[in-house]
Amino acid sequence: MVNPNEFKKKIEASISQEYGVEFLGKNFDQIVNLLTEIKAEKIYQWVKNIVESKIEPISIGSKKTYKEWEVNELLTFRYPFSIGNTEYRILFVKVKNSVYIEFHLGDHKYYDNVRKDLDLKKSNY
Amino acid sequence: MIIYNPHNEMLLSKRLKEAEELLAQIPVKYCFITGSFLSKERYKDIDIFVVTRSQKEMVLRNKKVKITTIDFNDLYSIFYHSVSKNCIAKNILPTKQLKVTLSDYWHVINEAIPTLLNQKDKFHKDVRFLVLYTEYFKTGEILDTFQLNERIHFFKNYNEVMDYVKRELPGIINKYAKSSYVKRFFYTQAAYYKKLKEYAAQSFLYELTHDVARGIAHG
Repeated sequence: MVNPNEFKKKIEASISQEYGVEFLGKNFDQIVNLLTEIKAEKIYQWVKNIVESKIEPISIGSKKTYKEWEVNELLTFRYPFSIGNTEYRILFVKVKNSVYIEFHLGDHKYYDNVRKDLDLKKSNY
Repeated sequence: MIIYNPHNEMLLSKRLKEAEELLAQIPVKYCFITGSFLSKERYKDIDIFVVTRSQKEMVLRNKKVKITTIDFNDLYSIFYHSVSKNCIAKNILPTKQLKVTLSDYWHVINEAIPTLLNQKDKFHKDVRFLVLYTEYFKTGEILDTFQLNERIHFFKNYNEVMDYVKRELPGIINKYAKSSYVKRFFYTQAAYYKKLKEYAAQSFLYELTHDVARGIAHG
């Protein structure tokens, strides 16, 4: 069982920025509680790999507005994992050449909604 | 119980009874089972799809059961058309005419390429939509879950998937889109990818958009 506050702190430490990243998701803390230490370590390593530009981002040339940015200014990093028979996804959103803004964690339905907001998913395919 | 099996694939007769019993435990009219459970001795999951407006999570006692909910608004999707094509259903399934666009297809490619490069040879699960869309636009046929698995396992590694996209996409776009739209859309996309060329996926997508636009320019 992983403590959600510790989890968030470790991720913040990896990205070391002054801008506060938002941790979002319908059942964020409950899902983190379900993580094993091994699974959490893999996520921390994945975040480190993002910082070191070792992970490929998803980006779309869209002028749609997302909060205070245009979608084409954002990079989204995706991490899939499962606990038991349930699949979860992390979407870590960064402004190009700038700060990390959001760390989403949720089930497939939540993931699909965030993708629609970020214009990464067009229709209900 | 309704059996949808357009290509007369071998269904394991012993699983039909089991499938019927599982579907009977689901308290909705429209639900169905598809995937390896119906045709393979060894299977990982039992894929059950439920068509409902309800947001309530459904859980069956069988730990291998994976339930996916499909909203009535999603019945026109290529996903629904594919998973419901070859299945065991509780009742006759509702149908809606397929709606797919090239823009949907491009969004699928845009997500699939970075995912493919991150997953490398563990790509099988992540290219389902990519292959489904590509085959649909290439041949006009919607692959069912069995055909889709077969097609995906035909690729030996992720590089073969990348080559497949590079080979098939320009012809598909040439066939379906007007050249003025293609030039406008793909050159715009190319400009965004160009700024991210330090990433392999964006570099690949940049080349791909250029190949498409060049193909149109040269007829």
